[in-house]
Amino acid sequence: MNTAREQILANIRSALTVLPERTARPTFPKSVSEPQWLASEADTIALFQKRATATGTKCFTDMESCAAWLREQGVRCVYIPAPLTRLASLCSEFCEVTAEYTRARVNEIDAAFTPSAGAVAESGTIILSDESTPDRLAALAPWHHIALVSRAEIHRTIADAIAAMPDDPNLIWVTGPSKTADVEGILIQGVHGPGAQACLIV
Amino acid sequence: MAEQKVELFARRLDRGVQQAVHSNSAAGTEKRYHSLGADYSAPDDLRRLAGQIRQHAIEHMDTYLEQAEQSLKRQGAQVHFAVTAADACRAVSDILQKAGAKKVVKSKSMISEEIHLNDHLGSVGIESVETDLGEYIIQIDGDHPSHIVKPIIHKNRRDIAKSFEREGLGDYNDDPETITRRARVFMRDKYLQADAGITGANFVSAESGRLVLVTNEGNSRFCLAAPKIHIALVGIEKVIPSDAELAVLLNLLGRSATGQQLTVYTEFINGPARTDRPSGPREMHVIFVDNERSQILASDCREILRCIRCGACLNVCPIYRQASGHAYRSVYPGPVGAVLSPLLAGKKFKELADLPKASSLCGACNEVCPVDIPIPDLLLKLRHRGHEEHAPSPGTPPMGAFAKLASSPMLWRFAMKSNKVMNLVPLEKLPLPYLQPWLKTRTLPEWRGGEFRSWMKDRRKK
Repeated sequence: MNTAREQILANIRSALTVLPERTARPTFPKSVSEPQWLASEADTIALFQKRATATGTKCFTDMESCAAWLREQGVRCVYIPAPLTRLASLCSEFCEVTAEYTRARVNEIDAAFTPSAGAVAESGTIILSDESTPDRLAALAPWHHIALVSRAEIHRTIADAIAAMPDDPNLIWVTGPSKTADVEGILIQGVHGPGAQACLIV
Repeated sequence: MAEQKVELFARRLDRGVQQAVHSNSAAGTEKRYHSLGADYSAPDDLRRLAGQIRQHAIEHMDTYLEQAEQSLKRQGAQVHFAVTAADACRAVSDILQKAGAKKVVKSKSMISEEIHLNDHLGSVGIESVETDLGEYIIQIDGDHPSHIVKPIIHKNRRDIAKSFEREGLGDYNDDPETITRRARVFMRDKYLQADAGITGANFVSAESGRLVLVTNEGNSRFCLAAPKIHIALVGIEKVIPSDAELAVLLNLLGRSATGQQLTVYTEFINGPARTDRPSGPREMHVIFVDNERSQILASDCREILRCIRCGACLNVCPIYRQASGHAYRSVYPGPVGAVLSPLLAGKKFKELADLPKASSLCGACNEVCPVDIPIPDLLLKLRHRGHEEHAPSPGTPPMGAFAKLASSPMLWRFAMKSNKVMNLVPLEKLPLPYLQPWLKTRTLPEWRGGEFRSWMKDRRKK
């Protein structure tokens, strides 16, 4: 048997015996951590767009304007998974389009579309998972990442999204572009992950 | 006059560093205040609820730890336990050596600082690269973090530019954006070449086994993308009952640490990647580390184990702002460090027993704490313990004579009256080293000792 395990558990148990009474598990309504302004936001999709924009995530509702943005950004090579043919044909007008994400091209592919596993309106968060984005690098390494968010999968609150977490070993909540303020507190976007984060609401 | 070590450090601190620490900390406090205030009408109620959640969790640590272990195993993760810092280091290197891993990328983890993991890995020939920008700069400089959330709060862009130039990351350039881009390029290769990724964890949900990791840079996502092995070092106090509690804790953590509603990346990890996936670790190891935590749980300072490492108490603390993180001579600085560091020192408690005294007990740390830790009370308890254990106490004037005087009514009465003679003595000329700094800027009022007693006596007669 694992002796370190037994020793630690024994130490914890003996530490807790001195307590005459242990603190009970608090009960609280799911709404307890909702911001006070949430009630006045009736439209969940509009709220998601507003909050996402506030954290630096660009929101698009049509493929044309999203493609136009990538063109304006001077994107050279975009990864678009196979089923998204219309998007691929729009992007092929101005850059290389690849339906395959390979390790060898990590530094060449400078934009990537990947499906999301939903979103959170309250915080403007995009949810990624291994199920929706099988290659973790595809949503992470390119400078531009565009998550495809389905309207039906936008959760209203953080608590709602937590309660509905799917069985996936790697759920990632993305709230804005990668950033740091380590150098003199100055905010810089795009440290390791995407410097430009966007979503296409479909 | 003998001085407290923290005070002495503050006095000798470079003015530029002091200003940087002060303004950056103050900005952090400001951001926290505005983001909590804008979103909640009663943020203190939420802090108290979070405090109860964490207090409940640490008081049921045995149950939740076992439950987390079961949940993680069910998801295919391997679970290890380490009693001491050395055990934890060895557990990491054993896993790496067994897999033949030579190169490791690391995301920011306070517990890895606590156990000095990088030194250990270096000594067994494993390259370990810190990937958080601030932590990387700390690593190449052979320095130590001076803030829990902002490790290089004490460095300016020129220091960093010099370090990058020295490490061959391009010519001298102190533009923060250029520095960040160079780190991005350098880290890319490290991520792709690494055999393993090491992370900490902000929370572990016992029910689901989910490890929650938060970063703004995205470095921990990278550590869990290319490498084939994931090792998570987790303090045993990080367990919480279930995912439901996360909504409360995450909402407070981001706002308290950096004024963000949520940190940019919040990752929920509860097992290795499936074998048919093109990326993600195939092996996941979770090492639960005790390193004195069960002893802290047994002490009367167990509330400190609620801490979620947001750094809000550092930002708000008048002593931290003046003295900076290195003044605390330990991994955890500021008010939380003044409590946690002497306790984590175990048998070497006395060496850090001065830290709880580096506080004016103003209570600001308790007011901003997202889990409502009564830090001033804990500081007092530790001061008492230091006294009991006869820890050296520089800066405290000898109070023995006063104690004798104050405990004898007769002596006290005599002293009150006879001290009137002091009104005739030029105090500034007296050889009283403890009083002189005070007298330099202040004048003592005239001695009127004993008048209250005579007034009381006369009053009774009437």
